Amino acid sequence: MKRYVDVYKQCMYSAVQTAAAYRMNFIVSSLITLVGNILFPLVTLLIYRAGTSFPGWSLYEVLLIQSVFTMSSGLANLVFGGVLWTTMSHVREGSFEVILLKPLNPLFYIVATTFSVESVGLFLGGAALFVFSTLHVGAIPAIAWLQFAGLFLAGTAVLAGLSLMMAAMSFKWVGNSRISELADSVLHVGKYPLPIFPKAVQAAATLIIPVGMVGFLPASALLGRVTASDFAAILPCLAFLAAGIWIYRHMIRMYEGVGG
Amino acid sequence: MHRLKHNWEICRAVAEVTYKEWSAYRTHSLVSVIVGPVYFMVQYFIWTSVYGGQTTTLGGLDLQQMIRYFGATALIGYLIMDFADWNLSMLVRTGKFLTFHLRPVHHRSFALFQKLGHRMLGFLFEFLPCLLIFIFIFGIDMRPASLPWTLVSVALAFLMNFYVNYTIGLTSFWLVQSGGIRSAFLLVSSIFSGALIPLDFFPHWLQVTQLFLPFQYIAYMPAMVFTGHYSLGGLELTIPQAVGMQAAAVLVMFGCNELIRRRAMKQFTAVGA
Repeated sequence: MKRYVDVYKQCMYSAVQTAAAYRMNFIVSSLITLVGNILFPLVTLLIYRAGTSFPGWSLYEVLLIQSVFTMSSGLANLVFGGVLWTTMSHVREGSFEVILLKPLNPLFYIVATTFSVESVGLFLGGAALFVFSTLHVGAIPAIAWLQFAGLFLAGTAVLAGLSLMMAAMSFKWVGNSRISELADSVLHVGKYPLPIFPKAVQAAATLIIPVGMVGFLPASALLGRVTASDFAAILPCLAFLAAGIWIYRHMIRMYEGVGG
Repeated sequence: MHRLKHNWEICRAVAEVTYKEWSAYRTHSLVSVIVGPVYFMVQYFIWTSVYGGQTTTLGGLDLQQMIRYFGATALIGYLIMDFADWNLSMLVRTGKFLTFHLRPVHHRSFALFQKLGHRMLGFLFEFLPCLLIFIFIFGIDMRPASLPWTLVSVALAFLMNFYVNYTIGLTSFWLVQSGGIRSAFLLVSSIFSGALIPLDFFPHWLQVTQLFLPFQYIAYMPAMVFTGHYSLGGLELTIPQAVGMQAAAVLVMFGCNELIRRRAMKQFTAVGA
């Protein structure tokens, strides 16, 4: 275990050093990501500015959902963001066996070596919006913060599982650069209050692909809108992450090592 | 006449070859059959919830028009999608642009007909399946208010998108790596083209600004021509007037593109990275 922690720390250090070597690229990429995420709730702002709303949800409550979603995405991207593109590149070029020869778990190796420092912009953009929103939604009790922490981690696990599943697809669907769009489109559901969707979509977004856990439920915890049964949704999240790990490891066996 | 026919043959061949080349990757296009309807579904429920069963109008559109607007922007997006900026940037960065100086065809024309071939594939594998999904699964009336004007407007949006992207790609002649510019432009374009939300929702001064920028001519205007009603920044135009304005904007953009292209050619060193 200690060896894995040491390797991960070393990989993080390398990622920071790489970012420092190309400082301008890092700054520009982080800034664009940051600005992009500040503008992400623009649709919500414009809807509320037009004098209308999502029924039952104030502007700051919706912004809170979207900020939690962004923070969770930032965190998941920081750790798992590079897995898809690196796996895809290795499979396409037929160089994945180099990873299989390393004296480490291949999935761990890929995750550790693709630590994406640039995603810090995404996380910070979400954090800024989060602070802004929480200041406008009233006092939040300590217990709500605890509930939020648990649900937030569960939501981040969903994003990690989704990243791994998408990366696993690239073992079979070789070189398809649009795989990530599949995940992005599904995640779009998680950016808005779940009750605006029909029951079937809500059920799918809670139990099958639990994207509702990414922004909606953690934010609901802060707003005191969760019930005890909502916490049962943590289980599908953990199951989703476990499924992502299992599918990725299973798909490695299908790697054929023919590149070019 | 003979020269015209010769050029047409070249351009047709480029479009055909691009079509065949990308046909090998048609499953890339088929991703849109899932992604497009999922995005549309989210928009559908967002706006259904926002309107809340009332018959009011928002930004001058009632719920049905709003849904039709998003359906139209999604479908128009498949017809005009373009990555000429990335392609040109890659050619400049690697020095491969040199080979186009040796070919009997202007690179911009080559790229335009490549896009045409690529989008013909998009028409079959993205536009048509999504159109059928919108009509038969979501039950949306996707008949344009005026088919001829919509076709002209989409064709102009196709050209506008290409010339704007090609101009962004031309910055590579100065910057070599224009990834940052392209990302920034993509961000601005995605907001101000009207694909996220109709431009009527923006503050008045931003709406007026959009009249002088190319973004609205790429998605907002053809979508509004499709719905049969165009207004922006207090300016209300009939459909023929709107399409006329779009044509003028495309001409201006072409002029800007030509000016920058001529300057860019003087920068070209034919040294790749």
